[in-house]
Parts: sequence; structure tokens; C-alpha cells
Amino acid sequence: MGSDTPRALVTGIKGGLAQIVANKLSARGYRCIGVDYRPLETVPEGLEECYQANYNKTRIEDIFRKHRPTHVFHLGRVGNLKEKMGKRFDLNVIGSRKVMDLALKYQARRQVVLSTFHIYGAHPHNHIPIYEDDPLRAGSAFPQIADASQLDNQAIAWLYRNREVGTVVVRPSNVIGPDIGNEMSKTLRAPLVPVMFGFSPMVQFVHQDDLSDAVIVAAEGSTAGVYNVTGVGSLPWRDSVGVAGARQVPILASLATSYLRAAGLFTRTLPPYMVNFLKFPCVVSDAALRRDFDWAPRIEQVAAIRDTVAEVRGPSF
Amino acid sequence: MSDTISELLERTLVVPGIARAFDSLGLPEEGYDQWGFNAEQSRLWYSLAYPIYRYFRPRVHGVENIPPGRVLIAGNHSGQLPFDGIVIALSTLLEADPPRLLRPMVERWVPTLPVINEIFSRTGVALGDPINCRNLLEADNAILVFPEGARGLGKTSELRYRLESFGRGFMRLALQTGSPIVPVAVVGAEEALLSIHNASTLARVLKFPYFPIPPLLPILGPLAYLPLPARFHLYYGEPMHFEGPFDDEDPVIDEKVRQVSERIESLIARGLAERQTVFG
Repeated sequence: MGSDTPRALVTGIKGGLAQIVANKLSARGYRCIGVDYRPLETVPEGLEECYQANYNKTRIEDIFRKHRPTHVFHLGRVGNLKEKMGKRFDLNVIGSRKVMDLALKYQARRQVVLSTFHIYGAHPHNHIPIYEDDPLRAGSAFPQIADASQLDNQAIAWLYRNREVGTVVVRPSNVIGPDIGNEMSKTLRAPLVPVMFGFSPMVQFVHQDDLSDAVIVAAEGSTAGVYNVTGVGSLPWRDSVGVAGARQVPILASLATSYLRAAGLFTRTLPPYMVNFLKFPCVVSDAALRRDFDWAPRIEQVAAIRDTVAEVRGPSF
Repeated sequence: MSDTISELLERTLVVPGIARAFDSLGLPEEGYDQWGFNAEQSRLWYSLAYPIYRYFRPRVHGVENIPPGRVLIAGNHSGQLPFDGIVIALSTLLEADPPRLLRPMVERWVPTLPVINEIFSRTGVALGDPINCRNLLEADNAILVFPEGARGLGKTSELRYRLESFGRGFMRLALQTGSPIVPVAVVGAEEALLSIHNASTLARVLKFPYFPIPPLLPILGPLAYLPLPARFHLYYGEPMHFEGPFDDEDPVIDEKVRQVSERIESLIARGLAERQTVFG
């Protein structure tokens, strides 16, 4: 391959989304390098090389120096709250800053940083839909999400200061899909799923294929900024659980946090901070992404959920 | 199985007039809009609310004043419980030709109420937030607002038919979205549920915006909260069109708001003059 071949560095490569993105990039002619802070047993398909490196340590610079990526896909946000707060801060805040600085230093042309819609928070006062400029309410009800909010804020401040690297921050709604192992996908695959008595807010999902396409479109576009990403439509939470073929466990709102904390010890269920997302809406608008990148998601909510749970529920589902 | 249950509910509970109104609206039966509205469930909930409409036997005047397309319907709020909103919303479905589905705006505490919040969102009710209102108007919906807010709803009976001060938000939205305002006066709701006192301390404890004390509470106990069968009279005024910047200074907006408030007051006065008896 010649020197014009685009080179992509994809962080969080142990995760399903990063691997899908790398695969698609490879098919589009990119040379792909993967990095994750977690150990990798094998090199996933489509990747030229894989490294284990903390994003906040010096080894990540060696990788940048060696491969000089033209495109950086920082998809390695640690969303798993079972990781200690300090480690999440190191990786998500300090590590993300380092990845962005290295993208600038080694003259990457474009960069995509994965954030999350969770930072908006689910709140009774949320209007519908939520736009990128709206306040981030999650911190007041759930301080443990501070690292995610800080990652996002820092990336936005950085992208306006460093115009040399076209940076796009994406805030996807609930990411689901057969290859995604996050809390929401695991919850939908579980046999019992909590629903809140008297509440069934509208929920949005984005399928792994739509999100990976959106990430690539963002990287290949010419606009910089922050963008919500979501799938086609929205569904009430109770309907979503029904589509997933799970049995609903109605819980009283006042007991919900305790229930999720206790249930989390024995089974796969939503983390306690998701309580408000089962009560109040957090519906985002992807109008800006559609407008600036001339791109739209393809996968309806029902199809996305069915695809996520198909393997667990079996062929009769 | 669930299809059979839903068909059975449809056959037994859905009021034919409401079914016909929804049919003529031409909304997709399946699926939800982003606020959670669902046409199929709405038919059922509106039908379950229909006994309230029958109970208050509204006489509806001027519903033909509601123009097609985006419009703000602004009314006086009264009666302790929002029966006026239910009756207005049903009147535009049942009496307007063609029927019109309203998107009522509610106070910020409503989304925290279990069950109620869910019924409301399935029937098209949305949080009374400027961005919700703007988005619904830009999609050419008819939205229902009560510019007095909970202050109007919870006022005691000695203040009946006296309007509380109006907020400015609805006027700024009308100007921003180029929407006409149709004033509506509700006469009769004030007498349905009387209140001689607002138990504000109890309201604070229960996190309610107000807590009415009906005059017959010592004798009837909780039964005093059952509404009396006062007849409602609804007067829709002609559409009011306003022009100017939506972010104009408060005194300029206040002047426009005053015009709407006065129009509603005159419609109330007409309703009170034309009403023979409270229950007749």
C-alpha cells in the first residue's frame, strides 16, 4: 500500500463497536491499528496490528509515532462502572486528552471521540428532543458519571482550540447489537428485566451497524463538532422489554435503586444509575448529524432489539 | 392473545364518536411519536375520559374558530382538578369539523406522577416546556396552554372567574412560530369543585402545587372531592394574530398578553351572562 493509504488508529478495540468500525474501515482500504487497555488474546479481523496500552501512559505515544494515523477513532471510553472511579478518570479523562493531543502532534487529519447520551441525564424536566447544546443534567443525580461528562466537555473544548484536526464528538443513545456487550445489550438479553411501576419513558436505541456507519461518516466528513446519534424512532421502555422477549419485573420507583443494586449481585441487570432512565425520557435529536453529514440511520428500534437478542432467545424467537 | 384482548377492548370500550374522530385524523395506528403519543392507545384513553365529558355536558360555542395548522389554544384554568383540559381536548375531537387532536401542555411536576405521566404521554400531552411547544407547533399541531398555570387551577372559589396573571411564554412561542392564538373560556369548572382554602403546608409536604379544601370536607370527608355536575360552557374566540420579535422586551410582550387575557375575560363574561343556572 502506498503512503496515501489512510491509516486508522482505533481505541477500545476489545469492544464490539471498535471491532465493527475497524472491519468496515479495513474494507474501505484503511490500514487499521487497534489499541485497548485490556489484554487481547487475538488480533481481531481487519486489523494490521493490535496493542495493549493505557491511553494515559507513554506507550500510546510509541504507537502514534510508529504508525502516524491519519484518522483516530477514540472509541475506548470506559463505560463499565465496575472499573474503579480513579481508573475510569485516568483512562477517560487523562487518557482521552492524551489521545487527542497525540492526534494533533502526529498530524492526524480527522478524529472521532465516542461520548454518550447518558451525560444529558434522564430528568422529568427534559424537553423532547434533546439537542447537542442542551445542559448535561446527569451529574446532579449520578455523580459517578463525572468522568464521562468531563471527557465530553474536554473533547469539545479541545476540538475548538485545535482546528488542525477535524474532530467529531459523537453522543450515541443506547448502543445495542449482537456484538455489543454493554449493560443495555446484556439487560435486553436477560430473562428478567426491570420496569418501573407507573413509568414507561420513551427510549432510543442505536444499532451497532448504524453507529459504526455514523462514526465512519463523521471521520470522513469535513465538519467538526458534537453530534447525537440514534436509530430510527423511539419506543417506551416497557414495549422495548416486550420486543426483547424478556419478562418484565415491575418495581416501585422508591425501591428501584435498592433493587438494581441487589439484583446486580446475582444477575445481569441495569446499573443503579439507570433508574432515572426507566422513569423519565432522555430522547435526543440527531438532526444535526443528518444535516451536516447527509446521513441517516437505517435500523428501526424493533429490528435493532430483535437483532441484539436473537442469539440468546433462539431461532423460534 | 394480546391482539384478541386489544380487539375486545376496542369493541367494548372505545366510544364510536371518538373512534370516528381518530379515523378522520389519519394518524398511524402503530408506533409512537417522540413524546410517546400513540393513536391506538389514545382512542382508548380518550374513551375512558368520555364519561367525564358526559358528566359535565359541555355546550361548545365557536369551535369552528380553530384554524387548520399550527395554533395555540389558550384558556382560563380553574376547578382544582384539570377537568377543563379534558373537556376542551374532547370538545375539539368530538365537536370540531374536521376533528382536531390537541396537544395539552402540563406543569413540570406532572411527569413525576406514576401512571398519570404514562397515560398523558400516550394521549399526546407534553411537558409545558418552550422547546416542546415550539417543536409541536412547527409540526403544525394544535397545542393547549393555560397561561395562568397551576395558580389558576388551584385558586379558591372566592376568586372564581378572576384570571390570575398570565405568563409570557405562550406569547413568545406564538410570535416565534407564527402561530395564531385561539382564546377559549371555560365557564362551569369553577363550580364543579369548590375550594375555600389552599392548604399550602400540606401541599408542600405532598409536593403538590396546591391542596384544596372543599367547604363540605368536615361533613362529607373525601367525598367532598367528588366534582358536582355543573354544566361546562366552552367559548372559543376568533383567532388572534400577533406580530413582532419573539424576544422583545417584557413590556411589549405584556401588552400582547393583556389582549389575550382581556379576550378570555370577555368570553367568560359572555358565558356567565348567557348561563341560566350552574347545573342546567
